[in-house]
Amino acid sequence: MRKNFPTRLAAGLLVAILLDTVLQIVWKSAVLSLPSDGSPWLNLQAILHNPRFLFLILLMAWQFFNWLMVLGDADLSYAQPLTSLSYVSVFCLSVFYFKEAADLIRIAGILFVLAGVWFISQTDHITHSKEREA
Amino acid sequence: MGQTTFGVLLVVVCALLEGVAQVLLKKSVLRAVRRYLWISFGVLILLIQKLIYSEALLFIDVGAAYVISSLNMIAITFMSRCLLREKVTRMRWIGVCLIFIGVGLVAARA
Repeated sequence: MRKNFPTRLAAGLLVAILLDTVLQIVWKSAVLSLPSDGSPWLNLQAILHNPRFLFLILLMAWQFFNWLMVLGDADLSYAQPLTSLSYVSVFCLSVFYFKEAADLIRIAGILFVLAGVWFISQTDHITHSKEREA
Repeated sequence: MGQTTFGVLLVVVCALLEGVAQVLLKKSVLRAVRRYLWISFGVLILLIQKLIYSEALLFIDVGAAYVISSLNMIAITFMSRCLLREKVTRMRWIGVCLIFIGVGLVAARA
């Protein structure tokens, strides 16, 4: 069972979830701004001149270094599923900020995600080297 | 092959590639030896994965892409158990499966 949960890991996971939320939104809007009939070369030129893609690259770099820090403190099979809390944050954003409808199916989905995260949070966040070698 | 099928296939490939990349990144923090080699390979695979994902979003809806992408959670849990020898308990598997179902329900209405 879970014990001595490090504050640095909690902060790292929170940042990972927030960055994942922003990345998904910016990425889609950036991809939609590409020319629809463009060749890969034209797309590459558009990417290099689009400030949204540059912002996306900055966010990805931040996400990457934050993620390495998280992986230093937790199992991959523990940390990665917990980042799915970004589904909950995107849902809350869409309902409370963009005033989208919250139907029962989506609410049920969010409850499943929260239940899954709870199950994972009840396990040890890291496999110690002795257990790993066993 | 239809455009949607092609998009779905691209996202499935992305989910598997992300699993491999994450295992390499975890290896980099586990071992001091060849740390930058593991990171470099991990980053290279992630870059390829991001390019393929961007291409896939042109063919399928982001909601559908999100559901299929969440397959990476199952792939990552399996690879963590087999390649990194992490202690993946039944409770962790239940959690992963619940999240996968939850993501499916959320994205079905996205």
